[in-house]
Amino acid sequence: MRLSDSGFAWVHRELVTCASWLAPAPQRKEWKKEWLSELWHVVQARIPAGYGSWKAQEEITRFCLGAFHDALCLRTMSWRDQKPFARWSGSPQQCLLLLCAALAIAYGISLLLPGVRAESRPSNFQVKPGLVLIQDARSRDDSVATIPIRQFLGWRERRQEYFDGLAFYRIAEEAASTSTGDRTTLNVAHASSNLFALLGLAVRYEEPGVKAGASERAVILSDRIWKTQFGENPHIAGSVIELGGRTARVAGIVPFGSWRLPGKIDLWLLEPDSEIPSGGPGYVLAHLSRRGQSEVWSRRIHITEYTGDYAADDLWGVSIDERTRGPWDIFLFTMLLALLCLPAVASVSMSESSFSSHRPTWSKRIRQWAFLCVKISLLFPIAYFSSLDLAYWHMPLYSAASQYMQLISSFTICLFGMRWVMLDQRQRCPVCLKRVTHPASVGLASRTFLAWNGTEMICTDGHTMLHVPALPTSWFSTQRWLYLDTSWKFLFVAQGIEGGA
Amino acid sequence: MASEAKLSHTTAIILQAIHAGFIYGFSIMEMTGLPSGTVYPAMRRLERDRMIRSHWERQSIADAEQRPPRKYYKLTSEGKSTLDASRRRYPLLERIIPSPEVKSV
Repeated sequence: MRLSDSGFAWVHRELVTCASWLAPAPQRKEWKKEWLSELWHVVQARIPAGYGSWKAQEEITRFCLGAFHDALCLRTMSWRDQKPFARWSGSPQQCLLLLCAALAIAYGISLLLPGVRAESRPSNFQVKPGLVLIQDARSRDDSVATIPIRQFLGWRERRQEYFDGLAFYRIAEEAASTSTGDRTTLNVAHASSNLFALLGLAVRYEEPGVKAGASERAVILSDRIWKTQFGENPHIAGSVIELGGRTARVAGIVPFGSWRLPGKIDLWLLEPDSEIPSGGPGYVLAHLSRRGQSEVWSRRIHITEYTGDYAADDLWGVSIDERTRGPWDIFLFTMLLALLCLPAVASVSMSESSFSSHRPTWSKRIRQWAFLCVKISLLFPIAYFSSLDLAYWHMPLYSAASQYMQLISSFTICLFGMRWVMLDQRQRCPVCLKRVTHPASVGLASRTFLAWNGTEMICTDGHTMLHVPALPTSWFSTQRWLYLDTSWKFLFVAQGIEGGA
Repeated sequence: MASEAKLSHTTAIILQAIHAGFIYGFSIMEMTGLPSGTVYPAMRRLERDRMIRSHWERQSIADAEQRPPRKYYKLTSEGKSTLDASRRRYPLLERIIPSPEVKSV
């Protein structure tokens, strides 16, 4: 045999071997044996003398290439006949893949929602610690303005022991015109000039030269107004706009989602306190002094203001930390709450199963626990992202409603997700971790005390059978696993294409 | 049911070839002129539909002839019924590959 012929022989053999990998595993060995045998006979027929022409080698190669088509055909038939999803169905891989897909979808949606994107940057909305929102105690709703500017100015004039910083803002609708001459009505917050410094909020495109109290007042724009009225101009700082007949110079932009205090505001007009126009009530922010912080223990403090005529005003100081609490804190709280509530909706014990003949090995038990841990570790991110998706689906900005929505959805998903995790785990075969299927009712409910009554489920791979009592009794209180011995095997022979051997 | 099965012309030719005594893949290829990528998959489908069945040649026979054993195919009774129906559908089938009984006449 010439060198080229032996090279061709090697190529032909390897072609058949490569094609054999396309054939289903159970039939692969026999399939390859048949093709190699046929190849031998083809070679003998085409190259009887031991060496052949190019044409003969080409014919043999073409014959070998047909093996790929044959193997693919066998694979297709195997898929159709064996129903591949039947094996996949209920398997731990399927379960984890579905959870991963749910996580990817929830995360993908969260990337598209601007509210969630803003929430994912906590530095944007973090305010200084020790800030409280002071309100009239008669008002139960902290989003309602209750303090008149006159009362605030009285506090400013007095020396404060418990507060080292105070700021006021009042919201009013005012006509505004931009430098381009467009006129519009905006929600303007007349605010103390130290408002943003007190809050510690960062302002974008800040113009350091613009100070309140100068001949032109300073104005901070909201992100929404900057985008809709000023075309996202990055050089907006320093521009002049007209507000209520007076001019004001733009000093910066509040980043999207940063403002977490009450009131929907389009722009903040920073003025000296004495120049804030009187009108309706406003909101007062106060920063607790060191002494104030040392004496405050709860997030809601009661303040009594003694007025000159021996009368007293009751006020509430509500911690702003609660308002600026990020979604992660809410999620951790709901997750803990769901874990505490879990025993009320599902049995959390994983050791209720009793094994009739032999116990699973340590490696199998570790695999079971690892599977449970992976499921839980996938469930919580799903709950986190999907609760954010639900909370910010219709709300582009932070609001109390979005917080409540996240709270409820996160708790619901965590609780019922954990319930599903536990129930799913209890119905997984200890050997292969596939879900037991084909439930069959056994016995009669009327004969519970005479004979066993419940549901039997079986592992489709033939490892175990699960007995679940319909009514727990003293002699059959918990579910039981029964290991199936080899005598059951004939029921679970994999249906493939018969090799004909 | 098998007698009502309608085979394609190619499959009918392969079935007829097996009936005519060409009982392994390469001989069917040689007889029909069809490529390996057509003949073998068709035989897989025929075997799945229980029209043919296969068996391996005994190793001792192959060893005696110093060659690898072959896999032989044979028509089942269902395959014969289907072939009869196919002959009525494709009258030229027996002319292309004469049946053994026809040859002997």
